Amino acid sequence: MQTPWRAAPRAALSSPLTLLVSVVTALLLSFVVAAAVLHSSASGSAAVAYQQDRLCEQLLHPGLDADRGVPADRVDEVVAAARETAGSLPVLAATYTTEVRTDFGGRPTFAKFGYREGAVDHVTVLEGGSRDGMWVPRSVADTTDLRLGERGMGGRLPPVTAIYADLNDPIDQWWCGERKQVVPNKITRKDVTSSVVWMPSQEAFDALPPELTGGGVALSLRFPVPAPRTATQAEVLLASGTALLDRIDDRTDGIIPRLRHNVVLPLPVENARATAANVRAAVLPLTLISLLIGLAGVGTVTAGWVQRRRTELRMLWCRGSGPWALGGRAVLELGAPLVLGGAAGLGTARLLLGVYAPSTDLEPDALPTAVLAVVAVVLASLAVTLVVTAFHAHRMFQAPTGRGLARRVLAAVPWELATAALAFAAWQRLRAGGLSTPLKIGGLPGIDAAALAFPLLVVLTTALLAARVLRVLLRASHRASLWHRPAAQIAIRRLAASAGPVTGVLLVGVLAIGTIAVGTSVANAQRTALDEKSGLYTGANSVVQIGTDLVTGERELPAELRGSTTVVGVSSQYDRTAVVVDPATFTDGAYLGTADPDELRALLTEPLRIGPPARRDVQLPGLPPLNPRTTLPSFPKVGADGYVVPRDRVTAADAVGSWYLWSTRSAADLTGPLRAAGIDYTGVQERSKAIAGLPFLTIGWAFGFVTAIGGVLAIVAAIALLLAIEVRRRQNAVAGALSTRMGMSPATLLSSHLVELGAVAAFAVVVGSAASALSSGVAVPRLDPAPRLTPSPTLPNVLPLLVTTAVGSALVVLAAAWIALRAARAARIGELIRG
Amino acid sequence: MADHVLRLTGVGVDYRTPGGTVTAVSDVGLDVPSTGITVLAGPSGSGKSTLLRVLGLVERPTLGAVELHGRGTTRLSDRARRALRRTDIALVFQNPGDNLIGHLSVGDNLRAAAQSAGRPERVDGLLDDLGLPGTASWKVTALSGGQQQRLAFGCALARGAAVVLADEPTSQLDTASADLVLETLVDLSRQGVPVVVASHDPRLIALADQLFTLRDGALT
Repeated sequence: MQTPWRAAPRAALSSPLTLLVSVVTALLLSFVVAAAVLHSSASGSAAVAYQQDRLCEQLLHPGLDADRGVPADRVDEVVAAARETAGSLPVLAATYTTEVRTDFGGRPTFAKFGYREGAVDHVTVLEGGSRDGMWVPRSVADTTDLRLGERGMGGRLPPVTAIYADLNDPIDQWWCGERKQVVPNKITRKDVTSSVVWMPSQEAFDALPPELTGGGVALSLRFPVPAPRTATQAEVLLASGTALLDRIDDRTDGIIPRLRHNVVLPLPVENARATAANVRAAVLPLTLISLLIGLAGVGTVTAGWVQRRRTELRMLWCRGSGPWALGGRAVLELGAPLVLGGAAGLGTARLLLGVYAPSTDLEPDALPTAVLAVVAVVLASLAVTLVVTAFHAHRMFQAPTGRGLARRVLAAVPWELATAALAFAAWQRLRAGGLSTPLKIGGLPGIDAAALAFPLLVVLTTALLAARVLRVLLRASHRASLWHRPAAQIAIRRLAASAGPVTGVLLVGVLAIGTIAVGTSVANAQRTALDEKSGLYTGANSVVQIGTDLVTGERELPAELRGSTTVVGVSSQYDRTAVVVDPATFTDGAYLGTADPDELRALLTEPLRIGPPARRDVQLPGLPPLNPRTTLPSFPKVGADGYVVPRDRVTAADAVGSWYLWSTRSAADLTGPLRAAGIDYTGVQERSKAIAGLPFLTIGWAFGFVTAIGGVLAIVAAIALLLAIEVRRRQNAVAGALSTRMGMSPATLLSSHLVELGAVAAFAVVVGSAASALSSGVAVPRLDPAPRLTPSPTLPNVLPLLVTTAVGSALVVLAAAWIALRAARAARIGELIRG
Repeated sequence: MADHVLRLTGVGVDYRTPGGTVTAVSDVGLDVPSTGITVLAGPSGSGKSTLLRVLGLVERPTLGAVELHGRGTTRLSDRARRALRRTDIALVFQNPGDNLIGHLSVGDNLRAAAQSAGRPERVDGLLDDLGLPGTASWKVTALSGGQQQRLAFGCALARGAAVVLADEPTSQLDTASADLVLETLVDLSRQGVPVVVASHDPRLIALADQLFTLRDGALT
């Protein structure tokens, strides 16, 4: 390799600014691409985590169940076979008798006997606690007057050594796999209390009287393992778990009938994969746009380098080097900073994962894919450097005629029409339903990435249009004569003199502000919609079903729940639903959203129709005929169609289908006092887990990333603005020094810079905000993953964001103006002499 | 073998400008002999530099033919013209800094020049010949303008070019530095390297073995 090429990497050090700009450009470019890859993968992991939070942890590894009919004397054999097959994997077996009328000495009751290793460590002991006897739930002990030391069934049962508190929702994760067996539903099955009487050992369970176990027992086998953190880990767990179950089946085939496989992971895995794919598809358009902007930035840096190295390139060309060889010279000088920037971008994307992505857990292939993407981007940057230099060399030295033709052609192409056409196509997709209905229960709706691109395409079109308008205005600006306002006139001339960089800064600025606003608006709208829909769906923060004794006043509500709860009845028939509310306490416990509590309380004294007025009277169980005149658009629990009836209109509480306690407290804080007071309840619901929020989160994550890219673009715009000023430093210094010597005041000079830069920034803020508000305004209500639930997503208040954007832009403008003024002041004498 | 290294026949160069076509050189025919100093003289804007670029195969003429060692070059491809520039032609520009690579040392500049033509690298001897002994490791910027221009001619020597073309080599230099350049040109000529210089410096014109005077793009 000849010396000029061999020495090229070292030559990069001769221009620290070019070096820095190259590194930063490659850093931002690689960051965007790597972050897109990592963010998509992290979204899949976040989807796994979100779904796991809603699943039973002990069932993540596929389990085995037999609800009844397993011969009691074969249980040991089956469990041993399972343990042997599972190897080092822990196996947690549980066996239960059916509910059998049992004589404990007092009033006969139904009871269920069971054994699960470690069960006694996971209950709350009320009396006793010795592990060598039976542990009886309080409900059984109370019903039968059973005391410690007593033995049931005429002494054929082990002695009672502990009385524990019945298990109730919300239960500990250790129990969740056994919920069906261990949590009794005392509201709907008052005659039977199925809380389990725990035996001290498997042997004791095996030794139960035959009338308890003769009909066969229920068996469950759980394999508690650490929860998977990524979709791949979940897939592996699912595959290995299913294979294990099959092997156990093979071993136990001759012993008992085939056990039921309890597998919950397939849908979450599918959803996690779909989430990652959806997010990837959704962020792709903006990532590609950013990639193009970044590569254009690399091209601009290279063009600047060509100008700076023009004499050297001319000399090499005169000595016989061709355009491609000169391109190679550029690659060798700018390559190292680009590679360095690429690596830094990858590192930054990995380090900041927790900041911009919904999870820090990545698929095994995510990082290698990100590395490959960054390598591809760096190679593309090097290719751009090569081609731009070769093109410039060709144009400068080899074929100087027709110079600028390509640029003129590129400028003449109506790119905004092309993007507008794409935006229109995206709008059609969005209007036709950008989010399809899920194909299976619990599944994700198909997300149309093209539809999601609509707001971004509107912003891009507006940015291109703004750039073209600005170019036309600057071309015509020589007609402006504002010398009575010298600052404005000088600002206009300066803008016109650097039309190219100014247009570029405006383009990126509008895109940055627009994407930040769109990303924030859509992501916040999804978050709010999920919150409000969940609230309206459940009716309150937490809800439990209660018996009528609390409604009729036979039992008192615990004092600590007053002020944060309300009793609500739900009466349904066919597709009509009415909620019975207590106007006095309703606003204490219900989810109100943005409704005014006082206004609502006043309305609740009369029956209300939710939705359009009904044409005739409606009759629902336990309620008087309803045909209210007052209507509301939506109401907790009934959504957008139903009725609300004040409690005093209900004549027979028992006739109303079911009663609930709604609370602003968490489920744990609501059920704790109920348990303490011995009040039965069932069907615990929490607002945060009431509806599957993954589709909302998916869109939120995708647009959260859009915001992050918008942030990167904002940095690009700010750097480009500051760089444009720094590149023109000498020009500004000479012009500024001459102007002030000719009588212009420093204040006017500063004003001219502020007007110049402020006009660009203000134009970008106004256009970017308007475009984002317009596009988000029409897109947000249509991006509704659960259209059957009210309310639809609405555009959030974007004023704080706009204020932040305006303040940020103002700071950049002030900094740039200060740099320009400082150059004029500091370099005045020297520059004038040189100039 | 031809007694001229370069020959121009009916050469014309036109430029298209927004104001219309401008004729820079019109119907020029001349032979550059294989030895001695040939000077293209004339006032500013007379077409000297344009003609020098045409002679250096840097620019294609609009009309006419250019021969190097008796071989026509006008119809050659860009690649073939580059190959000829690489081995046979050395160009020295007006500004000393434009002839050297600023971030390389003096010695590396000579090495780079030799490498570009595939010639052996002979740094120290060449520097001695140029009157720049012991400067091989110096930065180019440590040399005076005249020394830089001498080094530029040294690069031409290092490349072993068949002809050296210099565009106003003394115009950016003070008298003392210009004297150094004139000495170098004479040295080159003595070594049998044909030199073509575009200049309106009377001292340089006085050195000419052959003088062509241009006015408004035509030979007078």
